[in-house]
Amino acid sequence: MTKSIYFPLVELAPGAENNGLAEMIAGLIRQNLEDSPEKMSDFFKLSGRVSIVAEDVEVVLTMEFNRGQLMVHNGIVGIPDVTVRGSSEDIINLSLIEVIPSLGLPDPRGEIFRKVWAATRERRIQVHGALSNLLLMTRLSKVMSVN
Amino acid sequence: MTYRFPSKEWTEAYRQAVNSNPAYAEAGKDWTHGTVALVVKADPTIGIEKDMAMLLDVHRGVCRSTRYDEAEKVREEAAFVVEAGYDLWREVIDGKLDPTKGMMQGKLRLTKGHLPTMIRYVQSSKQLVASAAQVPTDFLR
Repeated sequence: MTKSIYFPLVELAPGAENNGLAEMIAGLIRQNLEDSPEKMSDFFKLSGRVSIVAEDVEVVLTMEFNRGQLMVHNGIVGIPDVTVRGSSEDIINLSLIEVIPSLGLPDPRGEIFRKVWAATRERRIQVHGALSNLLLMTRLSKVMSVN
Repeated sequence: MTYRFPSKEWTEAYRQAVNSNPAYAEAGKDWTHGTVALVVKADPTIGIEKDMAMLLDVHRGVCRSTRYDEAEKVREEAAFVVEAGYDLWREVIDGKLDPTKGMMQGKLRLTKGHLPTMIRYVQSSKQLVASAAQVPTDFLR
């Protein structure tokens, strides 16, 4: 019964069917919400647009969150609140960041966290708009994390 | 000796290559999530009349057995199914296409399986596929 509530909330926009990363992100978030219903409270608070640019594979998508609904678009759609640019490996690593279970926040002691932190310092990952959208990014991290 | 791709013989040689890859043994040591099927889409121009699958029974860093069969017989039982056309698999085997990048570009598709698990084991997947480069392969084109 709960599945019928979760699944319609995450959708691919027309034109995004051939964007493999968009399909992966939509599938990942859908599956995370199904596996971990406690992530739903963060998902329902998410509002805004986040674009991801995987530079080495030239794939771009925009996640449009609207308090309990997510539409994943091909390319940049609208004006993103946050834009993440990086290599495909760095983008994947963002969903692998270790989480402190009791807090649901990234664990700075984690191996992947340190890789992502190094990539950010070296500007291999660039996140535009994160500082002014910290809550959005924190909630998004929780919803996208596979840990 | 070379093995025609795809075939039963190639699939068995692939099993041996996987088990000879120490990087896969390490990256896949915690994998207990079931079998993986690699599906080559039908391509009658090179004699592949139906979608064909190589089913890999991988467990804790070891490929225990393989099967080469029609995909429609395999999709049901496999825990994970990755599908692509012949030329894309050739690029993957030749090391010209990283499987994760291929998935992001929509070239390879995960048509069945738990995506967060696949992402969690992305290094294992890479090493599994990288093992294919060690198989002396005779391509149909």
